[in-house]
Amino acid sequence: ISGQIMSNLDMLMHQNDGLNSTLYQEIENGRLFRLLCKLGTINERQEFDGDRQWSENGERYMIKLFRDYVFHQVDSNGQPVVDMGHIVRCLNKLDAGTEERICLTSRDDQSAFVVSYKELKKQIGSAFGELLKGRTNA
Amino acid sequence: MDGDWDQVARIPFPPPGVRAMATPVTTLAFDPHQELLWTGNDYGRVMSFYGAELQRYTSFKACTTHGDLKQILVNDKGVIVLGSRDIHMASRRGPPIWHIQHEAMKDLQCMSFTSKSQTEILVAGYQEKMFVIDVSKGEITKEISTAHSYKIMKKSRYICAATKDGLIDMIDPATLSIVRSWKAHSALISDMDAQHDFIVTCGFSLRHTQSYVPDPFLNVFDIKRMTPMPPIPFPAGGAFVRMHPRMSTTSIIMSQTGQMHVVDLMNPHTSNVRQVNVVSSLVTMFEIAFSGEAIAIADSASQIHLWGSPSKMRFVDFAQPCEFATADVPLPAIEWTSETPLNSIGMPHYREVLLSAWPDMVSDVGAPPPTLDPQFLATLKATDFGLYGPNTRGLRRNQVEDTRKADKATVVGIQAPKFLSEKARESAKAAGNTTGFDDGVDDVADT
Repeated sequence: ISGQIMSNLDMLMHQNDGLNSTLYQEIENGRLFRLLCKLGTINERQEFDGDRQWSENGERYMIKLFRDYVFHQVDSNGQPVVDMGHIVRCLNKLDAGTEERICLTSRDDQSAFVVSYKELKKQIGSAFGELLKGRTNA
Repeated sequence: MDGDWDQVARIPFPPPGVRAMATPVTTLAFDPHQELLWTGNDYGRVMSFYGAELQRYTSFKACTTHGDLKQILVNDKGVIVLGSRDIHMASRRGPPIWHIQHEAMKDLQCMSFTSKSQTEILVAGYQEKMFVIDVSKGEITKEISTAHSYKIMKKSRYICAATKDGLIDMIDPATLSIVRSWKAHSALISDMDAQHDFIVTCGFSLRHTQSYVPDPFLNVFDIKRMTPMPPIPFPAGGAFVRMHPRMSTTSIIMSQTGQMHVVDLMNPHTSNVRQVNVVSSLVTMFEIAFSGEAIAIADSASQIHLWGSPSKMRFVDFAQPCEFATADVPLPAIEWTSETPLNSIGMPHYREVLLSAWPDMVSDVGAPPPTLDPQFLATLKATDFGLYGPNTRGLRRNQVEDTRKADKATVVGIQAPKFLSEKARESAKAAGNTTGFDDGVDDVADT
């Protein structure tokens, strides 16, 4: 019977490993989803129309440009490029707020900013915090 | 100026849009710490150019509504941009730091640092008020009434402020009181610079034909002795002047047609003459770099000329590195299938709370869906993609409805609590008894 016990134990271990690796695969989803929720709730809100912070010389303008940078990639012919790798990579860097700098360009190519993920993280965090504050006041 | 000075670069100033006309430069400034040239145009846009090739670096809108930019000052933290009604400070990389708008800012023209540490500026213009602004906080600290309208400001020992009628006031940077006034030109001052112990000015006088004519000389004021010095002749008619930042008695004068003289104020008879190639246009602006090794000229054809020695061109002596976007590391291509886990891309190393951390909040889930008022549905037109019509529900778009409370309101007295499924069933029944949700749609579709 000792052989049976050993193989049983072995299978249990294997199953445990399998569960663990599936867990690690899926643990990212919640994090990325929460991040997307934050971005989704603050971007393009109608009540921010006319707010100087979101206008072209405001602090929040970079958040709009970052959304375009992540989701609206195009190739050299202007064809849309959908690259999940790029999206996840950018969101991961944003989530951690790395020192890496990226160049954000406006749609008319007239404005070019060099911004670090750390600065973007701070801006998005404060924009979201403001949103929550407005909710409790109302 | 060395013998090998020549035009190193000439670029057309980029237009404000793809099909738009090029606009002239309205202000130029060299960066005191990095190899950058800052420019402003009449759309309120600031653009910076890197190095001897004038490669485009950053570009951003500083002042949105009120037209051309008047002046740019650069300190170690970033660039301060003056528009006629607002002041904007941004980091060199573009993100804004602060923005000041004030109702008494009507027609600002010029500004100057007041302290050595460049943490405070004095702002003035064609208006009765001057402002003192704390640069690090981005706040107005003082408002001062002034009798004169100032057009140009330069700081040396005093803040030298030129009025629009040919007068120069020397303002004490500590007390902000006028120490002395000097009538430099009869009609107006076109350009002024103050460095070391001298103030140099170019100006125009009004002839009896009612036209402004550039004065054929350069006026010089000795700050150390507080007396004007004999003017230095410049037959071409001086329009722009800068003191050389390294050679304390040398100044560079330029005419509107691009004739450039390098003159020693102490020995004005020997001068070095150059011609800037401004084809069928006029020089509108002229600036010298802090190293003295480069000068930038803007002309009315919206071109920027950069002059200097091609071999040792630099804007600053010990330049801080310019912060460009981080170089992209080539990344492995991942084939995305529905099975590919998202963690095949790793997280970068981090120590702080992640942005995705969600705050504690109560969310109501599982409330019954809001019911649509049949009267409202009747106003909608049916198409093959659904119903449409204006929003006449008396609710904002996307307004949250408390469907639990709405249910409770109809209940009189205390009743036994119900399951959600029961409630949903009941409300469906109630709707069916009147006009009925589904029937309502059909009715509209039939008509």
